[in-house]
Amino acid sequence: MSRLDEVRSAFLAELDRAAGDPEAVERVRIAYAGRRSGVLGELTAALRDLPPEEKREYGRALNELKGLISDRLERAKRSAATASEAEAGPIVDVTLPGRRPARGAEHPVHLVRRRIEEIFLRMGYDVEDGPEVEDDWHNFEALNIPPDHPARDDQDTFYLPGGWLLRTHTSPVQARVMERTAPPIRIIVPGRVYRRDSDLRHSPMFHQLEGLLVGEGITFANLKATLEAFLHELFADDVEVRLRPGYFPFTEPSAEVDISCIFCGGDGCGVCSGSGWIEILGSGMVDPRVFEAVGVDPDRYTGFAFGLGIDRVAMLIYGIPDLRQMFDGDQRLTRQFA
Amino acid sequence: MRFDVDWLGDHLESASDLDTLAERLTACGCLVELRDRVDDTEVWDVEVTTNRPDVMNHRGLAREAAVATGVALRQIELDLEEGDDPAADLAAVDIVDPELCSRYVARVVRGVKIVESPAWLQRRLERCGIRPINAVVDATNYVLLDLGQPLHAFDLKLLRDRRIIVRRAADGETLVTLDEVERALTPEDLVIADAERAVALAGIMGGDSTEIGRSTTDILIESAHFDALTVRRTSRRLGMHTEASHRFERGSDPEMAGFACDAAAALIARLTGGRVCRGRIDAYPRPWIPTTLSLDVGSLSAFAGFEIVDRDAVRILDGLGFEPRQQGRLVTVTTPPHRVDVERVPDLYEEVMRHVGYGAVPSELPILPTPPGGRNPNWRLVDRARDAAVAVGLTEIMTWSFIDPEDDTLSNTLPLVVGDAAALANPLAATQSNLRRSLVPGMLSAARENLNWGERSLAFFEQGRVFWSEDGQVREGERLGVVISGPSDDDTPTGFSDLKGIVEAILDRLAYPEVEWRRGGGPWLAEAEGALLVRDGGQVAGCAGRLGRGLGERWQLKQPTYVAELDLGAALAQPPLPRFVPLPRFPPVMADMTVEHDVGVTFMELMDVVRRLAGERVEQVELRARYTGDNLAPDAVRTTLRLVYRHPERSLTQEEVNRDQNRLRERMAEQLGVRFA
Repeated sequence: MSRLDEVRSAFLAELDRAAGDPEAVERVRIAYAGRRSGVLGELTAALRDLPPEEKREYGRALNELKGLISDRLERAKRSAATASEAEAGPIVDVTLPGRRPARGAEHPVHLVRRRIEEIFLRMGYDVEDGPEVEDDWHNFEALNIPPDHPARDDQDTFYLPGGWLLRTHTSPVQARVMERTAPPIRIIVPGRVYRRDSDLRHSPMFHQLEGLLVGEGITFANLKATLEAFLHELFADDVEVRLRPGYFPFTEPSAEVDISCIFCGGDGCGVCSGSGWIEILGSGMVDPRVFEAVGVDPDRYTGFAFGLGIDRVAMLIYGIPDLRQMFDGDQRLTRQFA
Repeated sequence: MRFDVDWLGDHLESASDLDTLAERLTACGCLVELRDRVDDTEVWDVEVTTNRPDVMNHRGLAREAAVATGVALRQIELDLEEGDDPAADLAAVDIVDPELCSRYVARVVRGVKIVESPAWLQRRLERCGIRPINAVVDATNYVLLDLGQPLHAFDLKLLRDRRIIVRRAADGETLVTLDEVERALTPEDLVIADAERAVALAGIMGGDSTEIGRSTTDILIESAHFDALTVRRTSRRLGMHTEASHRFERGSDPEMAGFACDAAAALIARLTGGRVCRGRIDAYPRPWIPTTLSLDVGSLSAFAGFEIVDRDAVRILDGLGFEPRQQGRLVTVTTPPHRVDVERVPDLYEEVMRHVGYGAVPSELPILPTPPGGRNPNWRLVDRARDAAVAVGLTEIMTWSFIDPEDDTLSNTLPLVVGDAAALANPLAATQSNLRRSLVPGMLSAARENLNWGERSLAFFEQGRVFWSEDGQVREGERLGVVISGPSDDDTPTGFSDLKGIVEAILDRLAYPEVEWRRGGGPWLAEAEGALLVRDGGQVAGCAGRLGRGLGERWQLKQPTYVAELDLGAALAQPPLPRFVPLPRFPPVMADMTVEHDVGVTFMELMDVVRRLAGERVEQVELRARYTGDNLAPDAVRTTLRLVYRHPERSLTQEEVNRDQNRLRERMAEQLGVRFA
């Protein structure tokens, strides 16, 4: 019996010393489990010479030992192999660039659009959509801009045969939604619009986002707070928001909305032409004439509307100097926003 | 509009600090955009909105300034000396069409000398952007800028019969205006005529034939009120935009016409040594009628969202000339003649609120029911397409909705193009005169430009609308376009399979209905590498392939360019929710099979047969390799497929799988006549 225990202790000790070295493990294997001269062979042969009453117990203990030796050898072999592999092979220059999977990018105008949508969705607004080819009623007349109105000068229009036109703003969708939905209404409308105008500051095609809220008892103070909340989310909490009187045919009273210049903090710089303010939004209380035109009761409901140029906000946030550059189809421009 | 701040001061009882004045004017709606120091005063560029013609002069801006700063508006003193000879003996005015001209005031000044204006007056005009001409013309321009009344001076001796007739132009009548252009007129136009001919275009520009010249001695000053719409239509039709038309078409003050005429006569007499004849000739067939409105300050406060003090409302309305009468919270006003924009109570709300100041309004978020916001299905669809394209590594570009009609004509043969061209009636440029019916031409131009900018590889997409005419309507459709070209990052050339992989990945994410890839798409797509994406029922939902050579040359694309265009309208409105399939408990067994077949047998046909004949243990069939080459017959192809076998209840043995594979080979040989390597 003690012979088996001796072998067991010796094996474990030798294997321990050999750990991590595949060749040493192999030598231990040959010494104990080798087919020709292994200790296990010798111990097996010894079985024959034992008296019959001891054979049974010896055989059981020997099998146990064999199991242990083969199991431990197997484990030692595996861990030695892993250890040696880690040491071998060429050394990688970890400062080399990695291989990146192809990465797409969304156009900055859409990045900004979705950011704005997200803000208003959180405030419970629906995101609406409408046609880019419009009729005169929805683009102008329903919005209190009759034919020959001087405001039509500011929105030089592209016409199509049959009296159709390319919408000059996203406001016609306001009219369409009010025609089919009863208040309360809370929507924003992003989309592509067109004006017959092209220079450094104007593009015949650009993108606007319109907002409309109609309900009972809606006040000018509500408009102001909504725009402040939105602009603080879009830019920064410490941006100052200034409302000043303006004119739009479809709102009364109307307000132009400026933010304190996000580049100079209001001290005056090239972006804000030295004024410290950047014009960002047009807004106002919905003119009762618009309500009448689209079938909303102006005695019961009030509301506010606002609109901004998505491209202008993108130019401002990302520092893109030329509006028209964004429509050149330049993949290098968009890739900067991956 | 430019204002001389010194001049503005003439109308105010006391001077304010200029910074405060600029700030207060901006706060009440007269945005002071630019301030320039000129001589010893400042010139301000003030943005006056189109609805406020009353502010387009120094007196009008001073009225706003007075209310905004609490300074009194100065009374205007007029020093007019009249001679004995009555003007009415020297000229006559006849308004034929009072609808278009409600008032015509004339004064006669005799014995004028045509001299230069004094320096102070020239400087004031110049600071406001008006070129001095002579004392008579300068005086009329001065009164225009001062009081807002457009004026005109005729050489009285050149007016035939010394008569002024205000009438519509006759059909075919012509008039040479002061800018020496002959204008063809229509009965839509209002003219000032003498006994024989038109001598001025009413409210827009005087005529050449009665112009003030060196020899002029007697003049007739016109100060009138013309119908805004008539002036606007004529000035737009003739493309004439003048200081006078700018004001008349926005609405002038008929009551001011008389006083302004007196002011001009007095100034001309002073500057030229002329004598003002006695009396105005004043034809006023349709006198101005004031409107009365009642404003409830309580309602205004509720609308504004904060308490407005009655006293403030009254003070503001008084300063703006509304003559308010207060009774409790009700304030009754009479709209002054210079305020053509004030017609209703909401207009009065604005008057009070803008002078109380928007800065005084508190911020209070609205309280409404709280349903969650949602996105319109079309926005969800196009953004799903956008996300899918970005996820496969494409970069988004934007091109114009406009297209060169030549390219549009070529578009007729594009697979997705339907309907007729939608042409603009008034394009900005001939090369941008149609609306695009396909994204492809614009994307190809972008491809060319990107290569010119030095890009080697292209991998971009565009999402946007296309337009077409059909049954007198212009229709719109959402599209997604893809262009890839050039070597990829690891320098392997782009091929059809790259494009197809991209398109398939996009279609998957879009929840697109099943499409079949069929050869086609010429001439836009190369015959060898072009495909139409066809839906069940035969409707073409897209195309994808290598750009045909002819088109490549047209867009100067030297490297092979792969294009695809998809009709997003075909996508499902809502992608179905994925359903969980229990994960397999037993391992798969793979078995490859190399089939040698005729080149005419498409992969899809081969797969159909394999799928049909393979037993239900075959979970998946994948393409491993395609081979054509020297040791094969010229029209033979070798396709290696990998079949994945799996049994749901137990592990399969290799022997079982081998048996299945052999049986499959035999049946394929029978049915397709293919060989096995």
